[in-house]
Amino acid sequence: MRTSLTKVLAVGFVAALVASGCGSERRESGSTAPEKGFAADALIGVALPSKTSENWVLAGDLFTNGLKDAGFQSDVQYAGASTTVADQQAQITAMITKGAKVIVIGATDAAQLSTQVAQAKQSGAVVVAYDRLITNTPDVDYYIAFDNFKVGQLQGQALLDGMKSRKATGPWTVELFSGSPDDNNSGVFFNGAMDVLKPLIDRGEVVVGSGQTDVKQTATQGWKAENAQSRMDSLLNSTYAGDKTLDGVLSPNDTLARAIITSIKGAGKPIPIVTGQDSEVESVKSIMAGEQYSTINKDTRKLVAETVNMVKTLQAGNQPTVNDTKSYDNGVKVVPAYLLPPIIVTKANAAEAYADDPKLSPLTK
Amino acid sequence: MSRRGDLQKNLFGGTTSNARQFGMIFTLIAIIAFFQIMTDGLTLTSGNMIALTQQYAYISILSIGMLMVIVAGHIDLSVGSVAAFTGIVVAKAISEHGLPWPAGIVLGLLVGALIGAWQGFWVAWIGVPAFIVTLAGMLLFRGGNQYIGNADTVPVPEGFRTIGAGYLPEVGPDTGYNNLTLLLGLALCAAVVWREWHARRVRQRMEGAEPAPLWVSAVRLAVMVGVILFATFRFAGGRVGTSFPVSGIILAVLVIAYSFYTRNTAGGRHIYAVGGNARAAELSGVQLRRVNFLVMTNMGILAALAGMIFVARSAASGPQDGLNWELDAIAAVFIGGAAVSGGLGTVSGSIVGGLVMAVLNNGLQLIGTGADMVQIIKGLFLLGAVALDVYNKKQGRFSVIGSLMRPFRREPPRTLARDTSTRETEFLPGR
Repeated sequence: MRTSLTKVLAVGFVAALVASGCGSERRESGSTAPEKGFAADALIGVALPSKTSENWVLAGDLFTNGLKDAGFQSDVQYAGASTTVADQQAQITAMITKGAKVIVIGATDAAQLSTQVAQAKQSGAVVVAYDRLITNTPDVDYYIAFDNFKVGQLQGQALLDGMKSRKATGPWTVELFSGSPDDNNSGVFFNGAMDVLKPLIDRGEVVVGSGQTDVKQTATQGWKAENAQSRMDSLLNSTYAGDKTLDGVLSPNDTLARAIITSIKGAGKPIPIVTGQDSEVESVKSIMAGEQYSTINKDTRKLVAETVNMVKTLQAGNQPTVNDTKSYDNGVKVVPAYLLPPIIVTKANAAEAYADDPKLSPLTK
Repeated sequence: MSRRGDLQKNLFGGTTSNARQFGMIFTLIAIIAFFQIMTDGLTLTSGNMIALTQQYAYISILSIGMLMVIVAGHIDLSVGSVAAFTGIVVAKAISEHGLPWPAGIVLGLLVGALIGAWQGFWVAWIGVPAFIVTLAGMLLFRGGNQYIGNADTVPVPEGFRTIGAGYLPEVGPDTGYNNLTLLLGLALCAAVVWREWHARRVRQRMEGAEPAPLWVSAVRLAVMVGVILFATFRFAGGRVGTSFPVSGIILAVLVIAYSFYTRNTAGGRHIYAVGGNARAAELSGVQLRRVNFLVMTNMGILAALAGMIFVARSAASGPQDGLNWELDAIAAVFIGGAAVSGGLGTVSGSIVGGLVMAVLNNGLQLIGTGADMVQIIKGLFLLGAVALDVYNKKQGRFSVIGSLMRPFRREPPRTLARDTSTRETEFLPGR
């Protein structure tokens, strides 16, 4: 009895299996039909880096809510903290499998996504690089970000202004920090700042104490606070061991700025002018307390809102607005970009700059 | 013996009648079925199966080498760093020094072999525990990667990307499927049928052994052929231009070769002997140093290959390549039933272990689970799977994987070793 039952079951199972396997999903790659928009409740994928900064956490929440309010289904994913690149690759592939129409990517490593982006393109999805440009691929459709070169320039200028306010004339001694070398933005920030600082360094008005001015030497792997802190520790122990004073530190973002300040405090030195970026809560407190000198307000709310607008435009089948079609060359093509202007914030203008921000404005009172 | 026990024995090759023995295969089927339902059928679509194969090919290649290292009683923590180091060397050589990409692959394998030999030297001849040697290697080669690559991302050319992101070409008439993948599937079916037939013949000729009833062979064949055909149609029926991935083919070839080596050759059995009881093995004439050296060298080569496949898939070598790969590979090996103390485990078990983790990962991502929860679930799963296996062994039952892999084993050893424990079966292949 049992045996024949097993036979029947097995045969049935195999037949069902083979029959279901036959269903071919074959279709020509890269549906070349002109983009005519897509369903108003389509799935929109958002792949963000790991939760190393408040900004990404906030962006994820805003995307989830913003896309929902706009009537889309959303799939917002963060890469794991330890295996970021492989995680993000797998997440993007999963979004493609689920049939996402637009995939917004905040890349963990801008150069290691070309295979996935190509797959997305072939499946007919529109790829939007969010905040970080994806390089070495022809398959990125749009880039949306704050003007990062401008961010660098503002940081460089703030560093100078801050040092001038303490000591009217140079030479000023500074140290330079830059972001993670696998993030395309790091170089852009640094070059923007050097655009302001380089002439003064050449004239000897600004002196880099350690002599480390190359973007490779100043890099902070993975944007990790611990790496910036240990580099600052070493600099203090080598270059500033005696009574040599440090007037300013160029820091590319707030997380690193606070790590640098922690290191300097630990060494018992007076806190120099330290720049930042991202308007993180702790840094705004630090600025109000007179420790960190400046930060940059790149309102994540605005950036996410603009991205959601872009998705809506694409949904309707229209061309999204771009305002820069020549600056962002990713190595294969120039990606059309929509850039938002950043704002520099110091203690002086903090109250005004964060007036609309429910989380930050109470801190400035 | 009850009918049911008989059936299980015949179909799966186990000798006790406890369904738990087949836990891992059942777990895999259950997980696939669960996610197939949860994702409205996305899990078993062509696109997803192809992506899954590409995503997990390099980890599985690592777990083959890791299985041998662990069976020999060691561990290798450096594989991720070695993969990253090889990746950057090859990427730099190709894109900045004009090396043709096939030569780049050879260079990568050489670098891997050298690194493996370096670590093997310390383990085998100096006697430093592999844990320490490879912990040092982990730091050494991670630093090497950043030193050579300036912690930068270096792209690789189109041709090289084939090994990680490439597919079989479209040839022959338009059948609505990828023809080469269909051929591969048919060849695999033929091989399975031939092996079943061959095994029956062997048993018929053996004294005192009788082949399993014909219907058992038939059902077993039907199930296996059914699964293979299903997979074949799925892999062949993806978007035009896709097929069973090249990295999957590399993995399949390695699995077959290494399964044969570890199971059917003297060299392979020596690894189990060393891991089971190094002293006894040495007294029986096994060259301990040679085995340890070869196992570590082999791991280096496979780590290099895995690194290159990842670089090819990512289209660039980056400073974060290979982070935590050692943990994924080790997890796959242990879920696949290897013993921490060495001497136990199979290549195919590790592949199934890796597949379980891969399907779990992929399914959770398709549902839209965050990376944090995915890690928590994977961690609990690893603990649970190994705990269950340990518990079963303590109860004097067969280990889950020991029995799981029996149907894939040659028949004669099974008969001879029927009444001995798993451990002994692993040592003595019945020759």
